[in-house]
Amino acid sequence: MSLLTNQQRANAGSHRAGHRVVLAGLLAMVMASGYWTPCRAQSDLQIAEYKVKAAFLYKFASYVEWPPQVFERAETPLVIGVAGADALSDELARLIAGRSIGGRPMVVRRLRRGEAVDGVHILFIGRSDGGRLSETLASAKGRPVLTVTESEDAFALGSVINFVIVDDKVRFDVALREAEQANLKVSARLLAVARKVVAGPS
Amino acid sequence: MTPRFPASLQAKLLAVILLTTVVALAVALCAMVAYDLRLFHSKSVAELQTQAELLGQTSAAALQFDDPKVARENLQLLRFRSEIQAAAIYDATGKIFAKYAANPEQDRFPALPAPNGARSEGRDLFLFKRIEDQGQTLGTVYLRADNELYGKIANYAGIAAIVALVAILVALLMSTRMQAVITRPILAIAAVARHIVTTRDYSVRAVKTTDDEVGVLAEAFNDMLGEIQRRALDLEREVAERRHREQEIARLNAELEDRVRERTAELQEANKDLEAFTFSVSHDLRAPLRAVDGYCGIISEDYADRLDEKGKRLLAVVRDSGQRMSKLIEALLAFSRSARQQIQAAQVDMARLAEQAWAEACAAEPAGSAQFIVRSMPVAQGDAALLMQVWVNLITNARKYSGKRQQPIIEVGGEQRGAETVYWVKDNGVGFDMRHYQKLFAVFQRLHSASEFPGSGVGLAIVQRIVTRHGGRVWAEGKVDEGATFFFSLPSD
Repeated sequence: MSLLTNQQRANAGSHRAGHRVVLAGLLAMVMASGYWTPCRAQSDLQIAEYKVKAAFLYKFASYVEWPPQVFERAETPLVIGVAGADALSDELARLIAGRSIGGRPMVVRRLRRGEAVDGVHILFIGRSDGGRLSETLASAKGRPVLTVTESEDAFALGSVINFVIVDDKVRFDVALREAEQANLKVSARLLAVARKVVAGPS
Repeated sequence: MTPRFPASLQAKLLAVILLTTVVALAVALCAMVAYDLRLFHSKSVAELQTQAELLGQTSAAALQFDDPKVARENLQLLRFRSEIQAAAIYDATGKIFAKYAANPEQDRFPALPAPNGARSEGRDLFLFKRIEDQGQTLGTVYLRADNELYGKIANYAGIAAIVALVAILVALLMSTRMQAVITRPILAIAAVARHIVTTRDYSVRAVKTTDDEVGVLAEAFNDMLGEIQRRALDLEREVAERRHREQEIARLNAELEDRVRERTAELQEANKDLEAFTFSVSHDLRAPLRAVDGYCGIISEDYADRLDEKGKRLLAVVRDSGQRMSKLIEALLAFSRSARQQIQAAQVDMARLAEQAWAEACAAEPAGSAQFIVRSMPVAQGDAALLMQVWVNLITNARKYSGKRQQPIIEVGGEQRGAETVYWVKDNGVGFDMRHYQKLFAVFQRLHSASEFPGSGVGLAIVQRIVTRHGGRVWAEGKVDEGATFFFSLPSD
């Protein structure tokens, strides 16, 4: 650890989040058979999960290319819209503070019910958004918005990236056709680490 | 041509050639190998860098999205690179995220990633490279390859050994031929030198076969020979000339000696005749002179009364003249005798002899106020009678010429001077002028008139003759009115 610079140490936080999910998973299994309330464990697990997802969300920006007209100027901020996931929104806001992607600052916008998705580049729709999922996805359809969901049927509704939990680890799938429709180019390197890449709506 | 020291020169040349070959070869090989190895090393490092960069690029997403499986798959691709023995990806915290080993025994990795850069350790060449994205360090790639440098060095060493061996062999073969090129002219010069030493024929010259240093040596040698030849000729000529001159001198000397001997014989003959003549004349003159004196005596006794005074006076003059003539004849006879008388050599007490001579001189004429001083003197070897005559003559002489002094002093002495004994008679008389020294010892030669100091003029001549016959010499020192000293020397044994 001593070999790492201070900056590396600071950056390490985002990765720790990923590991914590694993730890939390193990902890959850242990606690499920113990006297800790399942509710409490569930809550902790969720916090860890959101942290990992928040980190992933902002890292996606590095592997996705938006059409150039989306950004008016070089320093136009990249907006991440979060709907139905307040905890993640808070976590994300903390994570991206002072960071930038390709010299572009990042901004988190919490989307209220019915709020337009104009100016949003990455849109995360949480599970708690419930029935509004299809509605929100529909509003982003045809626009250059990277839609990220965490629901099993989200691809059917037109989501580009969908988080899944595999072996207590956060992974994701990518729907290429949706990305093309949104006029987004997804890096092959991102596809390489995706759990699966689907060509069309599943 | 009998080579006497070719081995050493050839060995030296061979050593020089071989050493030069080996050194040149070693330097060239070292430079080539160093250059090649350096190039190879930097190429290896560059390749490793590229590989690491590639791995980092492909594994960045895997790190970012926490997918070690993908990273492992990426690393597995390295199995097609046989030189890479092990590889690993560390995450941002320094923990191993994914790893690869070509074989189980290579499955060893540093616990923590080191700073960026390539390093060699033993036979391993390893490299750390940070994976960065958007200014953030995502992790580190670690690659370890077999350092093929060592294999190459071994190969090069083998090649160098073979090349050196071949080069030395070729140099050996060539040098034996080439050495002859250098040594043959030198040995040729040596042979010429030896030939000259044995035959002394300086006209031989070394043949200049090359224009190099050996050629210069041959030229210098020939110049030296020319110089020696010239010197030898000069010397021979000089020797011949000298011999000729010496022969000439010897011939002239012989001639001269012959002439001297001839002359001496002639002179001796003439001298003898003269002596005989003097003796016979003196001897024969005495009888008529005695008759003249006798008859003059008879006339003066028997006819005294018939002669007047003038007649008596004239007769007295005749008798005086006759008597003086008789004395002269006596002196001449004495002088003649001194030449003829045999020398009876014996040890002589010279001081006593001088005193006897003084007594004899006083008997002839009283000493008056004259003072005689005898100093100590060495004994002499000679004829006592003749040496007595010498003393008498010298002392009489001294008395005569100091007789007019108020207090005449006559002093005799003698001393050893080197190989001879010198005796002297000193007076405080009238002395003489050294300008007339030549006349001093000649017969009948006188420095003073007979009226002033009577004498025959034979005394000193007799002294000289006696001393000369004894092998000595006489000389004198004097000044007018300041006395004279007469010296005579006799050889001491």
